[in-house]
Amino acid sequence: MSTKTVKDIVANCQEIFEDLDFRRAREWKAAVPGRKVIGYMPVYVPREIVHAAGMLPLGILGGGADMEVIHGDAYYQSYICRIPRSTIELAITGKLDFVDGMMFPSICDVIRNLSGIWQLLFKDKYVRYFDAPQNFKDEVGGVFYANELRELKEGLEQLGGRKITDADINNSIDLYNENRRWVNRVYDFRSDYPWKAPSAEVYLLMRAGMVLPVEEHTRLMQEYLAAADAESRPVKDNCRVVLTGAFCEQPPLNLIKSLEMAGCYIVDDDFMMVNRWLQRDVPATGDPIDNLVKAFLHHSAETPAKYEDDINVKGAYLLNTIAKRGADGVIFAAPSFCDPALLDQPMLISRVEARKIPYITMQYAENSGQMQPIREQAGTFADSIKLWGAA
Amino acid sequence: MTTSIGIDVGSGVIKTALFRVENDQSEWLARWDARIRQRDSFKLVEESVEYVLEKAGLKRSEIDYIATTGEGESIKDSTGHFYTMTTHARGALYLNPEARAVLDVGALNGRAIAIDGRGKVLNYRMTSQCASGSGQFLENIARYLGIAQDEIGGLSVQSTNPEKVSSICAVLAETDVINMVSRSIPPSDILRGIHESMADRLIKLLKSIDVTGGVVMMTGGLALDIGLVKAIQDGMDKQKMVTKVATHPDSLFAGAIGAALWGAFRHDKLQSLGQLRKAS
Repeated sequence: MSTKTVKDIVANCQEIFEDLDFRRAREWKAAVPGRKVIGYMPVYVPREIVHAAGMLPLGILGGGADMEVIHGDAYYQSYICRIPRSTIELAITGKLDFVDGMMFPSICDVIRNLSGIWQLLFKDKYVRYFDAPQNFKDEVGGVFYANELRELKEGLEQLGGRKITDADINNSIDLYNENRRWVNRVYDFRSDYPWKAPSAEVYLLMRAGMVLPVEEHTRLMQEYLAAADAESRPVKDNCRVVLTGAFCEQPPLNLIKSLEMAGCYIVDDDFMMVNRWLQRDVPATGDPIDNLVKAFLHHSAETPAKYEDDINVKGAYLLNTIAKRGADGVIFAAPSFCDPALLDQPMLISRVEARKIPYITMQYAENSGQMQPIREQAGTFADSIKLWGAA
Repeated sequence: MTTSIGIDVGSGVIKTALFRVENDQSEWLARWDARIRQRDSFKLVEESVEYVLEKAGLKRSEIDYIATTGEGESIKDSTGHFYTMTTHARGALYLNPEARAVLDVGALNGRAIAIDGRGKVLNYRMTSQCASGSGQFLENIARYLGIAQDEIGGLSVQSTNPEKVSSICAVLAETDVINMVSRSIPPSDILRGIHESMADRLIKLLKSIDVTGGVVMMTGGLALDIGLVKAIQDGMDKQKMVTKVATHPDSLFAGAIGAALWGAFRHDKLQSLGQLRKAS
């Protein structure tokens, strides 16, 4: 195992996070003639199929805190969230010129419409509106989703100029299973020793996985866990919270840091759910499309972007996470104008209120700059849990 | 018996207090405070901890909980951090058990905090980002008037004809003051006018959190400014609020006291829960 330090690993991840020109992905593409890069937006796409096509899946999560959006504002009304504007800005300013195709999952109307705008703006690129089912019956949503995956596969075959075999996909499924296992290990480690794996570091580590090839990201997580475990860091008397609602537009890194500085260890979250969407290993033998369909239908995480028709089950994922992580409370952090997160929030709040679990709500944009109100809110929340709660 | 240190890192002054708590009885063993004056806050904190330990005749290993408050989140050796409202509420109650509200006025802003008899924060409100309700503003005015800071309160209470000053904006207020100086307005009337302007803002904060009666404890650096304390009491009387403003010679330490006492409380709670690792 490598002897890299946490500092080295995090610095590497931070560089990848801040690099809006995606140098590492460009280098991957330039290393072998004919390689292709496929961008994708939150919440979930089957990266296994992209990988099986010999292409690099590249997570696009907006322009972040420091990007000035000029062109992007022309495409969306003022009451729309920021991630589509900054994503258009990335494209129009040439930062995505090396990206050969884009996938837009069916997370909300805004992202669906962004796929249409992309088709109009970038006619020479492969653009796919990735329409995941909201019906989870095998004979309805399953059939639909299998067709969707086959269409995706065929589209990528045309783009890449070669067939994607079942063996290719099974091999990729195997690699992504391995990657998910390490993602879960990092999350487990953070929950067990939150002072050894600050959330800002874990976040950067997961963000690196949006850019790096899956094999490289798995190695990076292995190195991080070894280094973080070996490093001695002071334990803080913080409360433990689950952060939920941030599954699409990402909060600024400073917000995550501010929450922990204010006394809240984040012991679980829903950032970049793509790397934990499938809750179990997908079988890496047999019909890979069928296996990916079944995993999606029956073993996927619950987010507001996924319809749950049983009101008694709604919120169970959050409640299970709170219990599993031994969390003292919940922070509902939603991007401003995020319909899925904000529409789901009252239902989820009713679940935690019924169990007398403390919670706070806050809104952010990817470029939110004022952290004082966040610190104040999170700080008083932590104090109320530590002094007046059961923790 | 639990021994704890509270460190309040303010924007102007660092305050440190060392307490011993046993069976709800607390004993204040040592204290330290110093203005930051562009020095390294981390070094000052370290210095303060060494000082109070030596004063109390204790070793660091004998301290059960080091609690920070104010801007002290980044101090590495602390056990935990409490937010400013939480610690000032507890500190105010320590200094005056009758307190049911707190006015914490420090270098950069002012806060009104409603509390209960246990020191639990029930509600709070802060001054907006404008500095005209803060100690830094008063420091600037003292400089314009060529007087020492500790003269401000004494001069203000001698005023016979206070000059009205803008209560909206520090920049406008400072311009007002420069004009007053050129019109030969006595410093006592200028200072009383400023105190009334600040009192007006602070009373509004108290009213916004429904504090209209009981004892309001002043904490933070300006709690020692007798001119401001009098202006607040006069303003409340004028508005027929049945509220009594109180202050204490140790009001400056309220945050550090609160941090130390909550730290001790937290240590005992974790111990009873068998979770002391969280505070090791």
